[in-house]
Amino acid sequence: MKHLKLFIPVAAFLAASVFFYMGLFSDPTDVKNANLQRPMPEFSLPDLMQPEKTYHREDLLGEVTLINVWGTWCVTCRVELPYMTKLRQQGIKIVGVYYDNAAEAEFSGINLQQTQADVKQMLANLGNPFVFNIYDKDRDLSLDLGVTGAPESFLIDPEGQIIAHRRGAIDERVWQRDFAPLVAQYQGK
Amino acid sequence: MKYLILIMLSLVSLTLTAAEQNYPFDDVQKEQDFNQLLQELRCPKCQNQNIADSNALVAIDLKNKTYQLVQEGKSKKEVVDFMVQRYGNFVHYDPPINSLTIWLWLVPILFIVLLAGWIILNSRKPNIAAHSISEQDKQKAAALLAEIEAERKNK
Amino acid sequence: MIPEIGHFTLLISLVFATLLGTVPLIGAQKNIAAFIHLAKPLVWGIFALLSISLFCLAWAFYFNDFSVYYVAMNSNSALPWYYRLSAVWGAHEGSLLLWVWILALWTLAVAIFSRRMDEVDVARVLSVMGIIAIGFLAFVIFTSNPFERTFPSFPVDGRDLNPLLQDIGLIIHPPMLYMGYVGFSVAFAFAIAALLAGKLDSTWARWSRPWTLAAWGFLTAGITLGSWWAYYELGWGGWWFWDPVENASFMPWLAGTALIHSLAVTEKRNAFKSWTVLLAISAFSLSLLGTFLVRSGILVSVHAFASDPTRGLFILIYLLIVIGGALTLYAVRASNVVSSHRYKLFSREVLLFVNNIFLVAALLVVLLGTLLPLVHKEIGLGSISIGAPFFDRIASYWVIPFAIVLSIAPLVRWKQDKLSRLKGSLAPAILITALISLTVYLTFNINSFIHLLGVCLAAWIFAMTAYELVISRQKTKLPLSHWGMTMAHWGFAALVIGVAVTQFASKEEDVRLMPGESVSLNEYNFKFIDVKQVTGPNYTAYKGSFLVTRGNSEYQLHAEKRYYKVQSNVMTEAGIDAGLWRDLYVSLGENLENGAWAVKVHVKPFVRWLWLGGILMVMGSALCIADKRYRRVLSASKGQI
Repeated sequence: MKHLKLFIPVAAFLAASVFFYMGLFSDPTDVKNANLQRPMPEFSLPDLMQPEKTYHREDLLGEVTLINVWGTWCVTCRVELPYMTKLRQQGIKIVGVYYDNAAEAEFSGINLQQTQADVKQMLANLGNPFVFNIYDKDRDLSLDLGVTGAPESFLIDPEGQIIAHRRGAIDERVWQRDFAPLVAQYQGK
Repeated sequence: MKYLILIMLSLVSLTLTAAEQNYPFDDVQKEQDFNQLLQELRCPKCQNQNIADSNALVAIDLKNKTYQLVQEGKSKKEVVDFMVQRYGNFVHYDPPINSLTIWLWLVPILFIVLLAGWIILNSRKPNIAAHSISEQDKQKAAALLAEIEAERKNK
Repeated sequence: MIPEIGHFTLLISLVFATLLGTVPLIGAQKNIAAFIHLAKPLVWGIFALLSISLFCLAWAFYFNDFSVYYVAMNSNSALPWYYRLSAVWGAHEGSLLLWVWILALWTLAVAIFSRRMDEVDVARVLSVMGIIAIGFLAFVIFTSNPFERTFPSFPVDGRDLNPLLQDIGLIIHPPMLYMGYVGFSVAFAFAIAALLAGKLDSTWARWSRPWTLAAWGFLTAGITLGSWWAYYELGWGGWWFWDPVENASFMPWLAGTALIHSLAVTEKRNAFKSWTVLLAISAFSLSLLGTFLVRSGILVSVHAFASDPTRGLFILIYLLIVIGGALTLYAVRASNVVSSHRYKLFSREVLLFVNNIFLVAALLVVLLGTLLPLVHKEIGLGSISIGAPFFDRIASYWVIPFAIVLSIAPLVRWKQDKLSRLKGSLAPAILITALISLTVYLTFNINSFIHLLGVCLAAWIFAMTAYELVISRQKTKLPLSHWGMTMAHWGFAALVIGVAVTQFASKEEDVRLMPGESVSLNEYNFKFIDVKQVTGPNYTAYKGSFLVTRGNSEYQLHAEKRYYKVQSNVMTEAGIDAGLWRDLYVSLGENLENGAWAVKVHVKPFVRWLWLGGILMVMGSALCIADKRYRRVLSASKGQI
C-alpha cells in the first residue's frame, strides 16, 4: 500500500499522455456547432434582391435544403460558388443567407443597393447556386445559428431539422464526406 | 434617489463635454454586468480571446447582442444562457459543472484533505527513539524494574 | 558557409551529448575513473559547440542571409539590428536552439561550481543533464533545423519578424523564461542522480537549493516581463489571461515555489525527502510539458507557435521517456526513503508543508484547468472553455489560507512551538493591517468584500513579515538569505494588493472621439489632441496625442496604431503614463468616419504593484543566492584547486 501510492504520479502522467496523443491528431479550434440536431430557428427576413418580399422558416421546409451563409466581401465564399452551382445543377436546393461584414456595418454603414449590385455581378461571374437569398439584415439569424464567420453551411431535412454543418468552404471532398450520404438518404425516400 | 440624480448629472456633463460612448448605459448595474460579460464570453472565431479584446467580426456581433440583451433588462445568467444555447459551452469561459468538470474542484480538495490528514498523523507519531529500544536496553529496564519491585517488597 | 558551420557544430554537439548521457553514468555505476573524468570535458565541448552554432545563426540574421529559410521567414533587411538579433529566438526553430544553448550553459555552471562535490556524484548529475540534451538536440536537428537553406532560389528580402515581437520586452522575455524552465533541469538532475545512487540524504538538497533559487528567480522575471509586455503591447490593458501558454509557465513556477520551501525543510531538518524529490522532478517535468503544450498546437492559445503533429509526437515520445522514466524511477526508489525526523503539529516543518499543499493544489487546478478542455473534447463531451472567471474565483478562495500560513510560518520555530508565543505579534500586526487597509479602503471606496479581503491579507502579510524581521534582527545579525525571504514575501503581498485594487478600482471607457474632444474618467480628463502620420524603420503609423489633466497636473500620452508593411499587420502601441499609484492608459482603435477614432481610455490604480511584486521576488531570490553560505562553498572549492 505504502509503495503503491508512489506510483500515482507516473500513472497520472501516463493517463494524461493518452489524451496528449489523441490531441495531436485533432484540431482544438474545430468546435462543434451547438445547433446540430436541433430545429432551424424561426426568422422573418426580407429577400436580398426584393426587400418587400419576406421569408419565414416555413419557406425552407419540404425538401432537404442547404443553407449557405455568405457575403461578397468574403474571399472563401468566392471559392465555393462554382462548386455549389454544380450542386444546384445536380438538383440540390440551396438557399443563401446574406451576411454583411460586421466591421463595415459597424464603422461605415451598409449600402443595400451597392450590395445588390455586387451580388448580381459576382453570381453572374462565378455561377448562382441559390434558389433565393435571405438578407440577414442585423445578422440575428446567423447569430441564432451560431455562425462564427462566412462561409458556413447548414443542411436541414424536410422537417427543418439541422442535420449537418460546415464551417468554411464546401468542395467535392467535403460534400461527399459530410453531406452527400445524408442527402441521398432523404432523396431516396 | 440623490445618488441617481448625481449619476444622471454626471452623465449629462459627460455628454456635453463630448465623447460619444460606444455602449452608453444609464444604469450602473447594467454597465457592470455588460463589462463583466464581455470579459467572460469567448470569441468563437479567435485563438483565445474574450469578446472585449477581440476585433473579429463575430465578436462585434456578440458585443452588440450582449449590449442589446443587457439593455432589455436580461440578467447576466440569462445572457450567458442565450449565448451558450447558440454557440455551445465553448463561448463561456466558466465551464458548466458536469461529471468531468466537477473534478476541477474535487481533485484539489481531495488532495488538500489527504495531505493535511497525512501531516497531522505524522506529527502525532511519537519520537522514533521510543520505538527503537534495543533488546539490551529492554533487559536493563526489566532488571531495574525488578530491583525496584524487590526493594519495595523488602520495605 | 557560416550556416553550415553552425549546422555542423550542432550535429557534433549531439554526438557529444550522447557520450555525456551514457559514458559518465556507466562510469559512476561501475566505478570506472576514466569514464567519470570524461564528463567535464564533454560539458565544455557541448557548450562551445552550441555557442558557435548560436553565433552562426545570429550572424546569418545580422548579415541578412535570406538563403537560410528560418532567417527569410523571420527577418527583413529593414528590421533594426537589435530586432534582427532577437529574431534568433523569434520563432520555433531558433528558440529551441536558444533552449538547448541555455541547457548547455546551466550544465557548464554545474560543472564549474560543483568542484567540492564528490566527483562521482557530479558525473551522474552532468550525465542526466546530457540525457536531457540528447532529446532536445535530436528534436532541433531532425524536426526543426534553423540552418536549413532555401537553395537553389532564395528571396531577395525576408518576410519580417512578427511585429508583436518587435519590442524590448520580447527581446529579453524568452531568454529569461528559458533560463527559468531549463534551470529546473539542475534540481531535476540532482534528484535523479540521488535516486540512481540511492543517496537521498540532505546533501543533495543542500546542493540543489541555490540552483533552484536561481532558476525560480529567472522564471519569475520571465513571467513578470511577459505580463508587463502583454499589458502595454496588446492594447487591452490586461496583464494575465489564463491562456494555456501562460498557464504552461505558471505551473513550473508553482512547483518551483513549493520546491524552494520544501528543499529548506529537507536540507535543515532532513524531513519530507520523498516529497521534495517528487517536486524536483515535477518542476522540470512541468517545464517540459509546457514546451509540449506550446509547440504541439493541441490547445488553443493566443500565443500561437508554428504547430505540427510530427513535432508534437516527437516531444511526446521524449516526455514519455524523460518524465515517465523519472517518475518510474521515483516510484521504485523512493520507497526506501525513511524520514526519521519528528515534529509536532505546530512547527515550522508542518507550516511549510501546508504551504506546499496549497501550492500544489493550485498547481493541480491550473493543470486540470488547462488540460480538461482537451479531455472533455476527446471523450466526446464537446468543447468547453476554462478561463478567467473560473481561475479568478478559485484564486480568491485559495489566497486566504495561503496568506495566513505564509504570514505566520517564518515566526514559528522548527520542531515544536506554541501558538501563544505569537501573541506579541498580534497587536502591531493588526494595527498596521488596519491602517493600510483603511487607507486603501477610503481612497478607492472598495465596497466589494473579496477585494477588500485581498487588501487586508496583503497588508497582514506585510505587517507580519515586517514584525518577524524586526524581532529576528534584535536577536542576531541576519544573513542575506533572511532578507531575501522577507523581500520575496513582501513581493507576494505587493502582488496581492495590486491584483485586488486593480481589479476593483480600474475604470475604462470605450469612446468615439474627434480631435479636440475629451472624455473624463474618475478625476482625469483625457483630451484627444490630434492624429499624425509617422514613419518608422519598417512601419507607418498613426500617432494619436492626448493631453490628460487632473487639477493642475498635465500628462502627455501618445498612442500609436502601426501598420507593418511586410506582414501587412496592424499593431497597437498603448500610450501609458506609469505611476506607482496609478497608470493612465490610452489605446487607439478603429479609424472611424469624419476623422473620429474609437479610443479606449483606462485609469488603472496600483497596476504597477503586480510587477513590483515580481521584481521584489526576483530580488529576494538573488539575495538568497548571494548569501555567504553558498559563497563559502565556492571559495572553499577555489582553495582546493
